[in-house]
Amino acid sequence: MTVNNRNLTKEIAEKLEDTILRGALGRFAEAYPISRAKAYENVEDIEALREQVRQMKIATVNHIEEVANAFEAAAQQRGAKVFRAKDGDAVKKYLLDLCHEKDVKRIVKSKSMASEEIHLNHSLEEAGLHVKETDLGEWIISLAGHKPSHMVMPAIHLSKEQIAGYFSEELKQQIPTDIAIMVKVARENLRKEFLLADMGISGANFGIAENGAIGLVTNEGNARLASTLPPIHVVIIGYEKLIPTIKDAAPILRTLPRNATGQLMTSYMTMVSGQTPVMVKKTGKWIEQEKELHIILLDNGRLKAAHDDKFKEIYQCVRCASCLNVCPIYTLVGGHVYGHIYAGGIGAILTALLSSQEDFDKINELCIGCRKCVEICPGKINIPGLIDELRSQTVSEKGLPFGVRMVFDNVLANRKVFHNLLRLASIGQKPFTSGNVIRHLPLFLAGLAKDRSLPAVADIPLRDRIPKITKKITKPTLRVAFFSGCNTDFVFPETGEAVYKVLQDLNMEVVFPEEQSCCGKPVLGMGDREIAKKIAKKNIIAFEEANADIILSSCPTCTETWHETYVKLFADDREWKQRAEKVAHKFREFTSFVEEHYEKTGRLTPKAGSMRVTYHDSCHAKRGLGIYKEPRALLAAAEGYELVEMKDCDKCCGMAGAFGVKYTKISMPILRQKITNIKESGAHIIAVGCPACMMQIQGGLDKQAPSIQVKHIAQLLAENIKE
Amino acid sequence: MKKVCEHWSQAFPSQNVGDYLFAEFEKRGQAASAEIFRVKTAVEAGEIVTNLAKFTNAKKIVTVDSPLQKATGMKEKLKSLGMLVYNTATDIAEHAESAEIGISAVEFGIAESGSVCMDGYSFENRLVSMLPPIHIVFLNSKNIVLGITEAFEIISQVYQQGYVSFITGPSRTADIERVLTIGVHGPSRFIIIAIDEQIDGGKK
Repeated sequence: MTVNNRNLTKEIAEKLEDTILRGALGRFAEAYPISRAKAYENVEDIEALREQVRQMKIATVNHIEEVANAFEAAAQQRGAKVFRAKDGDAVKKYLLDLCHEKDVKRIVKSKSMASEEIHLNHSLEEAGLHVKETDLGEWIISLAGHKPSHMVMPAIHLSKEQIAGYFSEELKQQIPTDIAIMVKVARENLRKEFLLADMGISGANFGIAENGAIGLVTNEGNARLASTLPPIHVVIIGYEKLIPTIKDAAPILRTLPRNATGQLMTSYMTMVSGQTPVMVKKTGKWIEQEKELHIILLDNGRLKAAHDDKFKEIYQCVRCASCLNVCPIYTLVGGHVYGHIYAGGIGAILTALLSSQEDFDKINELCIGCRKCVEICPGKINIPGLIDELRSQTVSEKGLPFGVRMVFDNVLANRKVFHNLLRLASIGQKPFTSGNVIRHLPLFLAGLAKDRSLPAVADIPLRDRIPKITKKITKPTLRVAFFSGCNTDFVFPETGEAVYKVLQDLNMEVVFPEEQSCCGKPVLGMGDREIAKKIAKKNIIAFEEANADIILSSCPTCTETWHETYVKLFADDREWKQRAEKVAHKFREFTSFVEEHYEKTGRLTPKAGSMRVTYHDSCHAKRGLGIYKEPRALLAAAEGYELVEMKDCDKCCGMAGAFGVKYTKISMPILRQKITNIKESGAHIIAVGCPACMMQIQGGLDKQAPSIQVKHIAQLLAENIKE
Repeated sequence: MKKVCEHWSQAFPSQNVGDYLFAEFEKRGQAASAEIFRVKTAVEAGEIVTNLAKFTNAKKIVTVDSPLQKATGMKEKLKSLGMLVYNTATDIAEHAESAEIGISAVEFGIAESGSVCMDGYSFENRLVSMLPPIHIVFLNSKNIVLGITEAFEIISQVYQQGYVSFITGPSRTADIERVLTIGVHGPSRFIIIAIDEQIDGGKK
């Protein structure tokens, strides 16, 4: 279903004002990581287990046709009928024909996202069939006429009062708002449906090629009833759920419940292989017969994805929805803004592949790129990476909006123009600055920063301060070329000065290649790889010419762009790939580099101090570069400071490049929570290793906690160096 | 009664199985709200069932026959207390929906998760586990395997066709405001009685 002319900003604003939704999601976001961690307490090596899931799924998708053929043959041998459905229409036709042929009037359904995906209920009901969802959450949303807002907890957006209202309306009697009573009412009403049904329709959590079995993981027990009581059972299963052997179900079952609901195992795990006996009452007598089993293998875009080098990764998804549970955006706005039926980051990808690219285009910016989901996904799917990939596809097919592209191509890809504009901004902003905040860099220039004020552009950029801060080192141990990135150059030049001081104190020579410009991340974030390549080439040339031992940045995002993205950008260009690899090899992030050299020079002994400092992990440093111990070691060893940890220290601050600027409304509540956590830690200083986080956090502190200072670790270290 | 496998225990691994895992199984099962009893003899198991039936004022009980169940002698006791006890396929099909208690046997327990593995090939075995509000299962207390991986090693040896399931505590939902509520579509009480005494093929 294509949702045309959506006003996403308005939809988001409505969700942010929905106190029921915000309350439910907020409490859930708090509780989820704790219950998940507890569920894994008796798994010795979680990483190995995730890797096992990933490898098994990769091996399967690489032979998806063979696995599907084997599954089909095994199921048919055991009396099941297998139907391969190209799309939703094929499923509907098959089912309607079957219902007609077997005189089916009443259908009970247990949860199936695949059936939601193709809007099956609607078609069945239109054909005059009596269809009941039996999963409590699904029943509730079907009464409410809503779409699921979460794959595992479809009705999480509703309160018990709202639900009691829907129940009362449906059952034509007043239902109290007592949850236990409501559950009992649902049991009694739906039990009748099970006993009278002619057909049960279920989804499947996995399908085993070895013996044609399908597996169902549920808590309520409705899938067992739907697959047992009616004389006909129809399973709708997507190709991505297939696994080769019976034993392959084990790693799925060890991760799916733990990740989905924090359970070691759901109440019921049910496997059905082939036909099983069923008893039906005919003319007052119970007769045993073989149950009719129909398995519909749904394609609907899945097979195309299986043959795409990048997108076959979605086969690693076990549909636990844990990526939603840790997503800073999902946990604020809920599932409905994602438009189609699949929510969150993985939902955005599934929407693109199983619904339409247009639906994806409307929501693709809702991924903040923080990678919290990548850390916990049982199949280790790089969700933000796939979203980036989809964005680039759109941009390479349709291009960026004209104005944005003009700015990127003419300004960002041209250092002189870009930097001149920034200098002008520094003068031009003067009458408009309030305190120390005004508009932000490339994003401002691209017209994306409409609703948002950010730190002012500095009077004198770092590049103009270089002669003053460069010391002559007589016998340098290393020659370091500094890549400042835009923020450090033009907004926080003090951070750059501190970097110089720290490195020079380590007896290193520091140079600043003049021709360096923006690393290109904002352009990449928008999906334009062609302009990004232009920018990358200019930067690579500038640093090749610097002839340094080490290239260093105090921005983790820039570091990662140099390290990984440049190399990937030139995957098809041998010469440039080699050159990118060569500079990438020399590229270091500031805190980890300095930690290594402080360690060597015996400056890392932890010291006590009276000034409390807490550390905020940038997403790119922690989950991109794996750097989180080093900055803490530096802080613990800094004279005069005591390192204290805050809650959710590695949760995104809400800045995330273009996101925080474009979606201020979502970004702000994330920031507020971050500032609250900083305050509650009792810290006097919040240390960061990333200028973008610094910009965001400074804006929040100004409003909420002006007495707390934000500093880059380089600044803390520099202050401790005696002249 | 139709089964996926007549002799599950023959597929057990030589390691990572045994009653030394019972304490862990019990802890995990209880955490999932299963009620677990461990008794030395089958006769004691039968006493637990009759007491439960008395305390819950059960009038109608459906049970599938198994060597463990027969050894408990529970059917006779329940009948002597005036309760209706049904054990044939047709009777179970007729009465499971209105019975207060369903009784069956399970093949093994899983220490990692507190689950039990049920062979549900026969329709009546499934009904007793699904429809009544209380489900009681008998389990040989030696038949505890270490984890889900070991469980699937066993299943993969015997599972040709049919219905195999894990049960882990009672039926539950958290679909309304994430409040855990027990007993939606399945039983609200799930009771495991583990028996130490070795019962084989219906003979003691």
